[in-house]
Amino acid sequence: MNKTKTRRTLLEWVKSYTGQKYLTTFLFLLVPVALLILFTVIPAFNMILFSFQERDELGLSARWIGFDNYKTLFTDMTYLKTFINSIYYFVGSFVQLALALFIATLLCSKIKFAGVFKGFIFFPYLMNGVAVALIFQRFFKVDDGGTLNSILALFGSDPINWLTNKSLNNWCLVFSSIWRYIGFDILMFIGAIQSISPDIYEAAEIDGANAWQRFWRIVFPSIRPIVALQLILSIKGATSVFEIPYVITGGKFDTSTFVIKTQEVGFTFHKVGLASAMAVVLLLIIIVITIIQKLFFKEER
Amino acid sequence: MKLKRIIAGILAVSTVFMVTACQDQGTSSKTDTSSKTENSSTTEESKNDESKNDESKTEGEKLTLKVLTHRTDRKEDGSLEKMTEAFEEKFNCTVEYQAFKDYAGDVSTMMSTTSYGDVLMIPDTVKIAELGNFFEPLGSYDELKETYMWADQKMYDGTVYGLAHLGSVSGGICYNKKVWEAAGITTAPKTAEEFINALKQIEEKTDAIPYYTNYKDASWTASQWCSLVMSASGNANYETDKLTKKEDLFIEGDAYYNVFKLMYDIYSDSKLIEGDPMGTDWEGSKLMIAKGEIATMTMGSWAVSQFKQIASENGLNPDDIGYMPAPFTAKDGKQYAQLAADYCMGVNKNSAADVKELGKKYIEWFIKDSGFSESEQSVNALKGSKLPGYLSAFEGCEYFTAATAPEGLTGVWNAIDNDSEVGIWAGDSANFKLRMAEAAFAGEGDAGFKTIIDEMNSKWNATRDANEALKTYLAG
Repeated sequence: MNKTKTRRTLLEWVKSYTGQKYLTTFLFLLVPVALLILFTVIPAFNMILFSFQERDELGLSARWIGFDNYKTLFTDMTYLKTFINSIYYFVGSFVQLALALFIATLLCSKIKFAGVFKGFIFFPYLMNGVAVALIFQRFFKVDDGGTLNSILALFGSDPINWLTNKSLNNWCLVFSSIWRYIGFDILMFIGAIQSISPDIYEAAEIDGANAWQRFWRIVFPSIRPIVALQLILSIKGATSVFEIPYVITGGKFDTSTFVIKTQEVGFTFHKVGLASAMAVVLLLIIIVITIIQKLFFKEER
Repeated sequence: MKLKRIIAGILAVSTVFMVTACQDQGTSSKTDTSSKTENSSTTEESKNDESKNDESKTEGEKLTLKVLTHRTDRKEDGSLEKMTEAFEEKFNCTVEYQAFKDYAGDVSTMMSTTSYGDVLMIPDTVKIAELGNFFEPLGSYDELKETYMWADQKMYDGTVYGLAHLGSVSGGICYNKKVWEAAGITTAPKTAEEFINALKQIEEKTDAIPYYTNYKDASWTASQWCSLVMSASGNANYETDKLTKKEDLFIEGDAYYNVFKLMYDIYSDSKLIEGDPMGTDWEGSKLMIAKGEIATMTMGSWAVSQFKQIASENGLNPDDIGYMPAPFTAKDGKQYAQLAADYCMGVNKNSAADVKELGKKYIEWFIKDSGFSESEQSVNALKGSKLPGYLSAFEGCEYFTAATAPEGLTGVWNAIDNDSEVGIWAGDSANFKLRMAEAAFAGEGDAGFKTIIDEMNSKWNATRDANEALKTYLAG
């Protein structure tokens, strides 16, 4: 057997079934893998290299400076303090999950037009983030037909400065963010709830459990892994908020986030090395969160 | 399938490039392609001269002058050529214009050969010390400075290689003349106090918004205030002096402080500005100032022509838009206005001798007689020429042009500005201009202003004291 195998020429191997299988797989993968390497792996690798350099966008006079960029990041608090605004989004993510769970439970009960509601609620998630931001820019406008203030005016309220009031604006942005992402959460919860066997419900009904008991004793324990997953995803999202504040307020009035700061350091002040270091720090934070998520899931199983 | 499309796309794009490249070569004269093949530069020049002479003679004794320009708009609407007819008649020659959208980029590339037109706008990529390798001397500085403003812009070692084709005032405030007059203000304010009082008067007597912040687009609109700083200082060497004297950026009574204190004071008074700074609309504000719904905006002089255009497009009077100088009086009691040169025109050193002579005449004619700067509503480079009508408020101001930084300090100001992340012209969300504006909106008063300038001063000073180039300059 061995001898015949070695005696076969390359051409014959290519023509054989296994040869064809490998060749086809290889050729099909070639383009996506090449694109992935070109546009993701190489830039990411470069970013890590850049984070140890002092360089501008053109990289003409790049200089290796070791860990200096990281030292600057962790000694000068102007960079890391922009994480503070992530707390708003973090708090918002709990609200988002609770609300999503509530709506998902409602949509799984016997109501009319559940499909239509699902479609409406999921639609914002399909929209481009910039489009969502533009909608909310209009929504929170103070005068000239700002949506929210126009509605409030019907009830006799004076116009409110939603975006310039520093104790309100971040919550407004969080609201926009919830509006956009809640559809995805709901969809995930609906999927999880519907995978629960109807037998259990029947049994519970026979035992005389009410809706509240059914939710806490049956639904919630069954979908806990999904809740945990969504929570982790929300935390990740909270640390890397970008387009909603960037488009709606441009980071003005204390609404800047870490990613906006990174963008400004890189492209306004041409400190690409430092900006890369900031991106690496964000990457590390997300990796840590991901590891926690993996460990958590192992436990669940 | 995807790959096929990508390849097809690449092929299509490259064909387009090749076709346009061929066209470019087709329009340039035959002598240029022949000169490229020559190796020795001396034979190249002589041969170039000869062939150029030959060619121009075959065209019925008429010389052809090739002019490279960045004004694609004026080339396309034919006004450049129409304007030049007078010159062509006077000197019995033909002038050919070639316009470039990406002027500096394209012409810099062309300058690696000897064929880059006969008269051209000198791109800033050419280093001052290298001007003599590319351009014909136009005269000595001592002689030309009597006639022209900005003669020192393209000067090396006392020889001038280029003259500004026009210039502009670099900083000022756009206003609607009608509204200001309706409020009873006829002379432009000379101090910050007068300016604020004028805005208050507008608030009382008219329905217009006295000052429009355009704050939603603050990433660039806030930086328009920076263009007032040089005029407020009245010092051509302001930045250099600040560096060598190791001064704070913001000192009470000094230009930066004065300009931004004025901004802060206006923004602090909610009656003087629009109701919702986050709901401003730049495109809409152009029509509003033309209509007189907005009285005042701080903008570079480039904005004036845009406002005027919107005014005429909407059947309003474009002459209502005026431009006033920075409302500050320098320590010597004078009000200053900074002027800045636009592109300077130079003559290609490699052109034939008679074409070069014609080129010099063209530059002189262009500045003195063409009427180009007047039709562009700009400042003519000729000393003592009249300012365009919308700048009437500048009469009585002392004009000056910012001096270039001395050797050894080139780029140091910008480097400190960038490294310290103060970002004088930047519009990042943590920028001092934005923080000042927000503190003003929140009514934090003088204390809020002081906190910000103290922080900026300490950032600036720390970075400045660490700057190696400045250390070397001060030591030597």
